[in-house]
Amino acid sequence: MSHKKGDLKVYWNKITYAFPILNDNIFSDCTNAEYDEVQHIIVGLGVQIKIRDLVLIHIEKHLRQHVAPKFWSKFIKVNEDVRGFQLFKSAVNDLYEAVSSFSSMMCRLTILNNSCNDNKPIYGEKDVVLGFKQLVRATLLSQLPLDFQVIINHFYKISFNVFDNEYENSDMSEDIMCSGCGNEYADCNCAYIVKVFHETNRKLMDLQLLERLTGQVLTNFIQLRIESHIQKLCTGTFDVSHVGFLENWLDTTVMSWLTRIYCGGSSKPPPDDKNIQNAISKFKQKLRYFLYHSYTKLRIDQLFNIIIEYPDSQPAVDDIKFCLDKTDLRSTLCKKLQNALETRLLHSGVNTPDILTAYISTIRALRHLDPSGVILETVTKPVRNYLRNREDTVRSVVSSLTEEGAGSELAEELAKYTGEPEGDADNDEAWDEWNPDPVDADPKVDPKDRRTSDIISMLVNVYGSKELFVNEYRTLLADRLLAQSVINTEKEIRYLELLKLRFGEAQLHFCEVMLKDISDSKRINSLIHQDSSIEELNKEFVSNAMILSAQFWPPFKDENLELPDEIKRHLEAYTKSYEALKGNRTLSWKPHLGNVNIEIEIGEKKLDLTVSPFNATLIMHFQNKPQWSIEELHQVMKVPVTVLRRKITYWQTMGLIMEKGSDYFVLADETENKANVSANQVQEMICEDEETESVMASAHDQREGELQVFWSYIVGMLTNLDSLPLDRIHQMLKMFASQVPGTECSLQELRQFLDTKVRTHQLVLQGGLYKLPKTIGLR
Amino acid sequence: MKVTVKSWTGVATWRWVANDDNCGICRMPFDSCCPDCKLPGDDCPLVWGACSHCFHIHCIVKWLHSQPQQQCPMCRQDWKFNNK
Repeated sequence: MSHKKGDLKVYWNKITYAFPILNDNIFSDCTNAEYDEVQHIIVGLGVQIKIRDLVLIHIEKHLRQHVAPKFWSKFIKVNEDVRGFQLFKSAVNDLYEAVSSFSSMMCRLTILNNSCNDNKPIYGEKDVVLGFKQLVRATLLSQLPLDFQVIINHFYKISFNVFDNEYENSDMSEDIMCSGCGNEYADCNCAYIVKVFHETNRKLMDLQLLERLTGQVLTNFIQLRIESHIQKLCTGTFDVSHVGFLENWLDTTVMSWLTRIYCGGSSKPPPDDKNIQNAISKFKQKLRYFLYHSYTKLRIDQLFNIIIEYPDSQPAVDDIKFCLDKTDLRSTLCKKLQNALETRLLHSGVNTPDILTAYISTIRALRHLDPSGVILETVTKPVRNYLRNREDTVRSVVSSLTEEGAGSELAEELAKYTGEPEGDADNDEAWDEWNPDPVDADPKVDPKDRRTSDIISMLVNVYGSKELFVNEYRTLLADRLLAQSVINTEKEIRYLELLKLRFGEAQLHFCEVMLKDISDSKRINSLIHQDSSIEELNKEFVSNAMILSAQFWPPFKDENLELPDEIKRHLEAYTKSYEALKGNRTLSWKPHLGNVNIEIEIGEKKLDLTVSPFNATLIMHFQNKPQWSIEELHQVMKVPVTVLRRKITYWQTMGLIMEKGSDYFVLADETENKANVSANQVQEMICEDEETESVMASAHDQREGELQVFWSYIVGMLTNLDSLPLDRIHQMLKMFASQVPGTECSLQELRQFLDTKVRTHQLVLQGGLYKLPKTIGLR
Repeated sequence: MKVTVKSWTGVATWRWVANDDNCGICRMPFDSCCPDCKLPGDDCPLVWGACSHCFHIHCIVKWLHSQPQQQCPMCRQDWKFNNK
């Protein structure tokens, strides 16, 4: 079959009439009937594949050179929202028009393609129209400019404002400005915006460009909205659970809104369009995760306050517990809470009892949050370390253990304790509820320990041993027993029993003996009072004694005091009577301990006071002689001058003694009446002040006593080697004195010890070298 | 000014009047108790032998029970309780 050249030209004209793109044109008036003829020609010539490919190449070229650049040329950086809104709208409109203008040509191309019978995919798709859409997307995205999100941002910002307005501010009618579009109500164009918005979305959806172009912006906007909603809902209150509300809000409000974007305005997704349904459900999953994530984050930031308010804040803790399973925020939680604890709790401005209270509620709250105890362990490590360095931790714990009445959680906790918790049998039954420890658990710790240890043992474990606590309790008990003239022994015994349950019988044996000493003393007192020789003396005043078993009491502060003769006479008589009562035993008095009930008469006034033996002695001396210099008092009472000076202030504040000239004290007698008036008010305050001072040797003093063992070694060293630096002494002590049991001594402790020796002139420090002073050497 | 003492509560520690500090058998202080006892003093008294050595009563009784001859563990003289 041959064709004339003229025929071919006619054919070509007809083909280009049907496919104007071959001449870089788009529009033609070619009708279906006309195309049938063209199709017939093409098939007759057998060039259908060539023509199809040629057309496709031309389409691609056209898209690349005209449509895409035109579309993207609208995506410029503008500052005004409205301008961006218009630009994006017109860009999408133009694109949509340009793409639709191809539709008639696409119909023809489909027919042409069907006649090719070669099953060659067109841009990866079987169908010409789908392939064309693919081509449009590919061409567009291949030219994606850098700042394409700017005007999209503007577009959605305006639209979302309108939506926000629609959903939430229905009652803001008094405003002049419409908060949706920012115009005055008179020319509010919200409705226009909504219309344009839905139309644009529908077009983008049609072009399958919605997700690629706007997905990021859309997600950001929705996330911002979720965040601000959570912020608005959840600040300040911890006693309501919010997760349910939030989930509900997301499902209804946010999702319906999202559906409208995807479905171009209708609030229900078209039931037959799987694509849209998939996109929406994917989006929903993403948003749900985001909701949990941002809620948990918010709560984690508030966790410190939540803990402080625990157990009132239990719902909030429940929420965190629930969300923590769904998000990956465990380590964030640990880090954040640890930071919060460190900045808000662990500094010198916070009282130890407050730290303890916070620690206790941390334990409670985190126990609830994470029953495995791993978070608790990680988070509270710095708290434990810090508490270990606080001097008064033990004292605070012990005193709050034994405190009575409300507010002392530890005392309640102690009373709750009933021996060993549930045995292993229960655990075996629950084998199918077993869960492995979380990944961040410390494998060296037995998980059972972590789970079962209760609050008190957690506190005790701050120090790693019960002994310190028991010792501290003993000291506190001793103070209490000696300070009170009337002792509630029953109460103390009850506490002791409770403590025994927890710390074990052996540890608290000493305390038991102490309590028994007190009750024995009462009996002995009444026995001795029946003694005739004492009866005589007791007509003046009653002398009692607290008789202690020295081995079982904590060491006493070593203080001296020379009592007035009449008192000494009484006590000697008491001793004699005691020796008679208990064969082969005698008493050694601690003259500075105890309490004295005295009555002071000043003219008309009578003061009834309970004071320490020291103060009683002092005022009795002033009764005999109204004027004393401090040196004389020192001679009579055998008390160091510094102590005298400190303690005499008691009577000074009572207005009974005045300092006339330096270190010279006189009795302020009737002449100073106005001072006496205030006496009663001051009294209470002073008595308290007196009580707070412990009569027991402090832990520090006890430690110094232990270090005393080294002293003879040190003296020996320095006698032989004349002078030594600190670390040399430390080394030599390690070498020679390490076998002395219980005397591990750090360099710092040694320095402190030697410094006290320097202060008491037993050592001389010269240029970093310790030396014995000359006088000792001569002796 | 006149000061009247109405009552005086002193604090004292008791101790055994003995020529040693520790029990020669259990090596515990006399003022404490023997290892078998919990409470010192009346519940765990001392006894003196004719040889003037003294022990916790529980300690020396235990010792005497375990020995064929009744001797003081310190000086090996025959043990006799000194009831002074």
